[in-house]
Amino acid sequence: MTETPSLQQQPPGLTESPAGSIYDLGYQRYEGVRLGRRHAIWALYRASLRAAFGFGRRTAAKIAPFALVVVALGPALLQLIIAAFTGDEMKLFNHEDYYELISLVLAIYVAAIAPDIVGRDQNNRTLTLYFTRAISRADYVLAKFLALVSAMLLITLVPQLVLFSANGLVASSFADYLRDEADLLLPIVGTALLGSALIASIGAAIAAQTPQRAFATVGIIATFLLTSVIAGALVSSIDSVYARLAIYLSPAALVEGLTSWMFVVEPNEGSLIPTANFELYTYALAAMVVTVACYLLLLRRYKAVQA
Amino acid sequence: MKHPTATRGDRTTLVQTSRLAKHYGSSKALENLDLTIEPGIIGLAGANGAGKSTLIKILLGIIKPTSGNAKMMGLDIDTRGTDLRQQVGYMPEHDCLALDMTATEFVGHMAEMSGLPGNAARERTAEILRHVGLFEARYRQMAGYSTGMRQRVKLAQALVHDPDFVLLDEPTNGLDPEGRDEMLDLIKRTGTKFGISVLMATHLLGEIERVCDHLVILDAGNLVHQGSLAGFTSSTETLEVEVEGDAALLATKLTALGLEATADRSHVLIATDGHAPYATIRDTIVDLDLRLVRMKQRRHMLEELFRSPAQEVSIPEPVSSEQVSD
Repeated sequence: MTETPSLQQQPPGLTESPAGSIYDLGYQRYEGVRLGRRHAIWALYRASLRAAFGFGRRTAAKIAPFALVVVALGPALLQLIIAAFTGDEMKLFNHEDYYELISLVLAIYVAAIAPDIVGRDQNNRTLTLYFTRAISRADYVLAKFLALVSAMLLITLVPQLVLFSANGLVASSFADYLRDEADLLLPIVGTALLGSALIASIGAAIAAQTPQRAFATVGIIATFLLTSVIAGALVSSIDSVYARLAIYLSPAALVEGLTSWMFVVEPNEGSLIPTANFELYTYALAAMVVTVACYLLLLRRYKAVQA
Repeated sequence: MKHPTATRGDRTTLVQTSRLAKHYGSSKALENLDLTIEPGIIGLAGANGAGKSTLIKILLGIIKPTSGNAKMMGLDIDTRGTDLRQQVGYMPEHDCLALDMTATEFVGHMAEMSGLPGNAARERTAEILRHVGLFEARYRQMAGYSTGMRQRVKLAQALVHDPDFVLLDEPTNGLDPEGRDEMLDLIKRTGTKFGISVLMATHLLGEIERVCDHLVILDAGNLVHQGSLAGFTSSTETLEVEVEGDAALLATKLTALGLEATADRSHVLIATDGHAPYATIRDTIVDLDLRLVRMKQRRHMLEELFRSPAQEVSIPEPVSSEQVSD
């Protein structure tokens, strides 16, 4: 251990070492505040959201999420463009139809992002570093879940708000539109929150089971598609109340049902909802139950996972 | 040379365990360990499976003990885990870096995860990356880093929040001799110049002799030895005397003179307390008309504390998450 006192006097940077060698420039202890758990959860939330969209990572990691956001925003943007250029009072579609329109995008999007948010730390084994810091395992799950819900809101709430604005621009008076249609905001926000939480919790619960990105992605897409197919087959082909209960297995049907309920509209003729013939509010309840169940599953997984 | 800082837990005792045990099924990774460690640079030695990593992981709260309890810096590991982990750093044995990030981003993020505000996290990240010799490479993706550089990032993330205590698990793993030297220097400086207490787990005794001032030895989950390194090595030093002629006779004669001597073929091993009775040995050899080939200090004393490899009990690491959950 050779110490050169003169070296320590120099400002950092002047004694820059070639890569490999180490110079002692004097160590400063940190005497500032330590913000603890809440700050750590917030930091993890932000970092997870950033990583999901590929910020600070290679360009390829940015492509998929952004492309899907653009696709999800597409219909709403189209309406906005029509409003801006033609001023026509033409509505391409309504708020309550939006999720049905992008239901496949929702599934692909969560399948693309959930493995980034919850699987990556297992793959890198960074989990060890998180669990030995200022957070608990439950805090970790909370931050990750909120990050994924926020990412979902980008393709649920944001397009809905864009659509709302576009329709407002189309209307003869934006102020009148706001006054008349303000009661749409509650179902817009409500469906976005419930739907995002539902899809995020399912995606996270599946992705957390494996550090392998490919398995997680395939697993999530398969879950969304298969539940949809199974629910469809059971509900429409077997005339029994037990078979019809299978509709609650399908996240897509839950989102559709709770959307009809919140916007107080009749479900689409062609969909499973009229066939199943349950009260619409039960879909909102079922969505919450599934969300809570998946969240508990996540907690359980992270309590057991080896760090 | 600790800089006095206010309210950083109880600084007098680093680690205190009470009947701490960890069992995996029938195998016992730790057995009723009672351990008190004071601040300093502590070497945690033991063969593979001796319970070193298990002890560290229990202290950090990533595995739960089967029974017993422990405190770090006066805080109970079970009830005050998140508080105390703001004050400690951990460098795991295995890879743990998000390689698609830059060192600056990764270490900065980890600083915030330990409770540092954003600005402080950025400043300290630059600072610590300079200390570990990665200042110039700090904006590069870690995927392009060598093993040595990755080990330094691992050390940097353990130190970035200026902990009072760092726990390092096999920090020189996978390093070439040069990288090993630099890492050991860095660890020594962490303890002596940065004023941070260090617990370094290693199976390489030479590393402990180079860096540490205190020694804890585990074997098969039991405490074998604990004490200052200086006291330990001097009390167990051995002088090796090689002669041509009857080594057994020399050993008998020396034993009769009150020395602790044993014959081993042409060698006689003499235990000393740091002051070898060279004159006595020389005179005895002359009296017996033996020819002296050489005398040398044996420096492998630490190894003698371990069982021979054949007797080693290997403790299986938990292979699945299910084992850890219960």
